[in-house]
Amino acid sequence: MGNGIYRRTLLKTAALAGVGALAAPRLSLGADAKTLRFIPQANLANLDPIWTTQYVVRNGALLIWDTLYGVDDKLQPQPQMVESHEVTDDFKTWTFKLRPGLKFHDGEPVLAKDVAASILRWMARDATMGGPIKKRTDMLEAVDDRTFRFRLSKPYPKMLFALGKSSTPCLFIMPERIANTSPFKQISEYVGSGPMRFNKDLWVPGAKAIFEKFDGYLPRDEKANWLSGGKQINFDRIEWNIVPDVATAAAALQNGEVDWWETPSADLVPLLKKNPNLAVDIADPLGNIGSFRINHLHPPFDDVRARRAIQTALSQEDYMGAVVGDDQALWKTVPGFFTPDTPLYTENGGEPLKGKRDYELAKQLLAEAGYKGEPIVLLVATDVGITKAQGDVTADLLKRIGVNVDYQALDWGTVGQRRAKKEKPSEGGWNIFHTWHAGADCVNPAPYIALDASGDTAWFGWPKSDLVQEKIGAWYDAPDLAAEKTAIAELNKAAMDHVVYVPTGFFKGYQAWRTNISGVVKAPFPVFWDVTKT
Amino acid sequence: MLSYIARRTAATIPVVLMVALFVFSLLYIAPGDPAAIIAGDQATPADVDRIRASLGLDRPFLVRFGDWFWHVLQGDLGTSIFTNLPVSHMIAQRIEPTVSLMCLTLILSLSCAIPMGVIAAWKHGTWIDRAVMTTAVLGFSTPSFVIGYVLAYVFALRLDWLPVQGFTSISEGLIPFLRNLILPAVALGLVYMALIARITRATMLDVLSQDYIRTAKAKGVGQRGMLFVHALKNAAVPIVTIIGIGFAALIGGAVVTESVFAIPGLGRLTVDAILRRDYPVIQGVVLMFSFVYVMVNLGVDLLYTVFDPRIRY
Repeated sequence: MGNGIYRRTLLKTAALAGVGALAAPRLSLGADAKTLRFIPQANLANLDPIWTTQYVVRNGALLIWDTLYGVDDKLQPQPQMVESHEVTDDFKTWTFKLRPGLKFHDGEPVLAKDVAASILRWMARDATMGGPIKKRTDMLEAVDDRTFRFRLSKPYPKMLFALGKSSTPCLFIMPERIANTSPFKQISEYVGSGPMRFNKDLWVPGAKAIFEKFDGYLPRDEKANWLSGGKQINFDRIEWNIVPDVATAAAALQNGEVDWWETPSADLVPLLKKNPNLAVDIADPLGNIGSFRINHLHPPFDDVRARRAIQTALSQEDYMGAVVGDDQALWKTVPGFFTPDTPLYTENGGEPLKGKRDYELAKQLLAEAGYKGEPIVLLVATDVGITKAQGDVTADLLKRIGVNVDYQALDWGTVGQRRAKKEKPSEGGWNIFHTWHAGADCVNPAPYIALDASGDTAWFGWPKSDLVQEKIGAWYDAPDLAAEKTAIAELNKAAMDHVVYVPTGFFKGYQAWRTNISGVVKAPFPVFWDVTKT
Repeated sequence: MLSYIARRTAATIPVVLMVALFVFSLLYIAPGDPAAIIAGDQATPADVDRIRASLGLDRPFLVRFGDWFWHVLQGDLGTSIFTNLPVSHMIAQRIEPTVSLMCLTLILSLSCAIPMGVIAAWKHGTWIDRAVMTTAVLGFSTPSFVIGYVLAYVFALRLDWLPVQGFTSISEGLIPFLRNLILPAVALGLVYMALIARITRATMLDVLSQDYIRTAKAKGVGQRGMLFVHALKNAAVPIVTIIGIGFAALIGGAVVTESVFAIPGLGRLTVDAILRRDYPVIQGVVLMFSFVYVMVNLGVDLLYTVFDPRIRY
């Protein structure tokens, strides 16, 4: 008996000691104010921001590489690596001078030849602004170590915006030896001149990425504002933790294992808001525009009347309810193609998306377009919440207007492949798919690849409208804001009339962080400079 | 025995070869395009084509397979399409978390399941038996991700005893290592424990009714000796077989558990690679898993000779 009691006592003590040891305070977690733990929107699978245009790569690249110009919260390009520039009156010769003392992470100075090589690689991949500049560039030269110059055959007034654009691919400045890599081949060295250096040795793709403060970084004197100004980093180390499961990410944030979550799932936001240790706010004031993308090549949507039938019947309220739920702060209807609350926003021509939805008129338009009940192939990426929600609403909408829907549930990787097919829908092609466009890409036509209506070379769906293209050209040539607004209003109407695609609404997302973090700002990308942790 | 091991090891080569060909073919015909994923939404179709060509994805099936297999024969599993890192390096990065999780799961589940099964058989028909079997049925019926969420909620969020997610290498200390792994190991191990406990009970019931057990009892062998020396050893062959078969289920369960607890292991690597169509990584990981599985089965076969000396190869 005595032996038994002793054994039980021993086991109990050992068990308690074990639990006690396991439950010991996390000495490293939360104690280090010099380390920021961040959950990004997606897995950081690579870090070549020219080779791939994924936003998560752009966001990581913003820490490593600096840019010549950077947009502020007014969407105006401000000098970043550039000290000054001169432009001739005809907007054909642009001369730029770099700030003195800029250094790459390997200690080498940033030279004009590095800039020229980086521009060449970027121009080869950026179809929206780099491509047009390349076409009109007679010469790009490094005049001296700190000066480079464009000589253009045609004027390009939007040059500064192009050099500082925040939509992907951005113009990041890399050392010449790296920038000389083919733009269609991935780089393997991540050497930049940005405020943080990437620790490749500690990188576990799909799990963790570590950025360490670059002491040689030379921030500007101005206060930081989005991608412009002095990028003061208050951390020795920024850890990106990839947490694929949203419930786990929410629990980790509540438990203090991470400091900041870029894209909390909408259904978990009420839970996070109840926690006094957490702050929750809109992440990106420019939000996103949902897209009902139509294939213009095949019947019935090769006829504008069939496309207008969709406009007539589509209810943005239904789409936004499905995408972001009941939170009215997160969405609004958008009878236009451009980002609401930005300088060029217009509703000119947006009447078809306003007012009561008319299913009978939609049926009549479809009949006039010659639709006779053929299957309409709807590609739905069911592994992405936003596209799945839009796809389900669309399936219901199409049934209401008498369309025979062929709902094809796929994953995003397959939709990415299928949407590139120009074959007939019955031969592996498609009629409709859904996506969404970042509001930052919809502020003007330059980064707005989805609005291009050049036919064969346009984005998936291949819309063709000379009038739309003419109005896009008018914006490029507009000398001032008033002229830009006029061009955009006309462009919006032309694109609405042609139904380049159908916007399904404007929506935003939240971000969440622990209250011991301060300085988090609303922006289309996570802004790490000026963030502090106590 | 040695020649048997050599023959069985050699036999893994055609198995792995078949798996390689099967996986490669499956990926070839599966829809999806890594070039489109790399290029992103802003890319033009022409850019997607150029990326596809630069990755060699526009080459014929046999050329691609031959090229890949030739490199595999030289020990080169290729380079990830997305990360530009060698597949072997990516697997090496992920082995420790997965092996740690599986070892801890095995230790926890076997150390609970076998005594549970033995006791349930010994106390057959009593409330102890029913309690053990109810626990086993519950463990078997509840998906590991549900168990994972419940454990994380209770032990991490409510009690704040353990972290929700992540992995700490054992080289940084046993306690931090266990703190991160204990919840996922329990979540993953419950199903496994239930399976082993049920098989142990069923096999033990059969063995306990054998004549030699009655003889042992008559000769005055103690209860513990009778159960764990005479009975369990004779019941071991089917139990070990199920442990081997269950290993495959454990690999599958690790994929889910690693995602729920954000453990950077091979399971998550596999899921990420499949979603992105990172073909070299998928092929490398599947090859490795198939090789490990064949080896585990070889180990199980060899263990038979330990538990039953009548078995000889």
